[in-house]
Amino acid sequence: MGDSAYSFSLTTFSRTGKLLQIEYALNAVSNGRCSLGIAAKDGVVIATDKKVSSTLIDVDEVQKIQSISPTSGFVYSGLGPDYRVLTRSARKNSAAYERTYGEAQPITQTVKQTASLMQEYTQSGGVRPFGCSVLAAGFDEDGEPKLFQVDPSGAYFGWRATAIGKGFVNAKSFLEKRVTSEILLEDAVHTCLLTLRESFEGEINGKNIEVGVLEKGGGFRILKEEEVNDYLNEAN
Amino acid sequence: MSILAYNGAAMIGMAGDNCVGIAADTRLGAQAQTVACTFQKTFKISDTIFVGLAGLGSDVQTLSQTLKFRKNLYELKEERTMKPKVFSAMLSTLLYEKRFGPYFIEPIVCGLQDGVPFLSGMDLIGAPVFTDDFVVSGTCTANLFGTCESLYKPSQNPDELFETLSQCLLASVDRDALSGWGGVVHIITKEGVRTRELKGRQD
Amino acid sequence: MANFIGVAPTIPSSLLDSHITPRPDFTTCTDPSNFLIPNVTDPAFYCRSNFASASGDKDAQQVVKFAKGTTTLAFKFNEGIIVSVDSRSTMGAYIASQTVKKIIEINPFLLGTMAGGAADCSFWERNLGMQCRLYELRNKKRISVASASKLLANTMNSYRGYGLSMGTMVTGWDETGPQLYYVDNDATRLHDNLFSVGSGSTYAYGVLDTYYRPDLTIPEAIDLGKRAIYHATHRDAYSGGINNLYHVQADGWKKIHAIDVNELHYEFADEKNEMVA
Repeated sequence: MGDSAYSFSLTTFSRTGKLLQIEYALNAVSNGRCSLGIAAKDGVVIATDKKVSSTLIDVDEVQKIQSISPTSGFVYSGLGPDYRVLTRSARKNSAAYERTYGEAQPITQTVKQTASLMQEYTQSGGVRPFGCSVLAAGFDEDGEPKLFQVDPSGAYFGWRATAIGKGFVNAKSFLEKRVTSEILLEDAVHTCLLTLRESFEGEINGKNIEVGVLEKGGGFRILKEEEVNDYLNEAN
Repeated sequence: MSILAYNGAAMIGMAGDNCVGIAADTRLGAQAQTVACTFQKTFKISDTIFVGLAGLGSDVQTLSQTLKFRKNLYELKEERTMKPKVFSAMLSTLLYEKRFGPYFIEPIVCGLQDGVPFLSGMDLIGAPVFTDDFVVSGTCTANLFGTCESLYKPSQNPDELFETLSQCLLASVDRDALSGWGGVVHIITKEGVRTRELKGRQD
Repeated sequence: MANFIGVAPTIPSSLLDSHITPRPDFTTCTDPSNFLIPNVTDPAFYCRSNFASASGDKDAQQVVKFAKGTTTLAFKFNEGIIVSVDSRSTMGAYIASQTVKKIIEINPFLLGTMAGGAADCSFWERNLGMQCRLYELRNKKRISVASASKLLANTMNSYRGYGLSMGTMVTGWDETGPQLYYVDNDATRLHDNLFSVGSGSTYAYGVLDTYYRPDLTIPEAIDLGKRAIYHATHRDAYSGGINNLYHVQADGWKKIHAIDVNELHYEFADEKNEMVA
């Protein structure tokens, strides 16, 4: 397939020096449900809106936050199926790393690897860029909690707090006002939910959002519906 | 005759108080024929990691280069220094990758991790053993175990460790036909590495 | 495992002393024909495949392994014969001893060297000594080196195929002057001016062939003997320890020295440095 006459790269430069396919991919991200995350002093929280288009859909079978290794997790905005390819690759890479070096892969490495994969899909023939951005929660090589964002272009950023998907501009300015470098995990979870609620259409509850928590010195965990509801009740 | 014993070797890794040492002979033979008396079998991987490669001479050279390459690549990729424990795991993986066509090497790893001695040894397909006193490898492991078991003391300072390693190595190779002809000892401390060459019997 | 019972191998009757009547309490020391032989249809094959020795890797797959690895040499020159050997005994890569006497003093006029199986060499050369003494008593004169070596070769011939391991040089001074023979377990018997036997022999030959002349002085010959052994011990893993050197003259053999070869290494290194300087 790779060497077919039609397998040239679709991601080519426009005359103005832009890669339009990548910009379109970013549009796909912006149209997706909002996801956000905060790196606190003692952990990381990532959360996402998982509202569905029909009441007939079984929301229990929708899982947007995925754990990658026992100490890291991903969430996305954009195209779900594309995200699945990324998690699959990151999980395999993470496991191979631990198998090779005898210690957990630092999130910096997981992010670099995921970013490399996404970059490859902007320059290869016969493929299109990924239609999703990813937020990655994990520990760096010193065991410090970190939050990263990876875009379809293969660009990646480290954040104190950030948001992607629909309404990310508003969500980010909301976070900017509330997140400090001294914030603790419990506080960060509340801030996350608050931010999510801000732009949420309808009533927010444990069924239509998802929250993942990584505690310093511990592992990555996706909160159960009841736990999310408990957090929401605390906020009220 | 085993390929592992084709060239002959003797080496020891030993832990001391906030220091660790590695000693090896310098012979390279083709079975009975002594070809070289100055063959390098211990390699500095970093300021705090040394690896000793006992076994087939060509694989000693290939593997030492591969290991340095992998370690350099790791440090560039990860922007941090490699720890002895990680190096040992990497070496073990590297060896098992060649499970059905192995490198004929039985390595030992000696390092200081945050000032604490790290020692490991493994077979030619990477099954590791971790010790906190000493580890030996080569064609006269039986002799080396004998001398190390009787001369090893816990918490030796760098000078004592050097003395013990030298005595253990020289006494062992004098009863092994395939190793000896000189030796080398490296003592690794937080302050740095001290290397000394040993004069051995020439028969 | 076969039982070992007293069945004599086929030894030529000429070899056996007809005056000695075998008695039940005779040991193999005085009468080798009393060796216990495996009770199998082909005892030679059984011995050869289970106790095959010695030089080479013939015993690699065997349970019973033999001590071997040696450098020995002897050469004839105008002033007699030099016999020079190392002293290492190995079992596999393990060095069993560094102080083996590989020159066997058969009698005051005869020397034998030891290469191959240590036990085979010492036993059969001791046995040769006994046969030589009997010859002296019967004939009122010393045996010639030619005859002595032939006795040993005959013994080897009678045990051919049994897996004995022996590479020896028989030297001495008789009515015909200095003589040097090579005898091995195949019953090979050679007469020449220069031999070297053992795993380190190739190295020794290298030195001997380069520097040997029949008109060497005695100090020169002694130096050549120890130099050849030193170079062999340096390069051959299975040779080492001490250099024992004998000089055979008209009035019998004389032990010249026993030097640690490690000292020779530095002695020759100094010599080389002086030559450069």
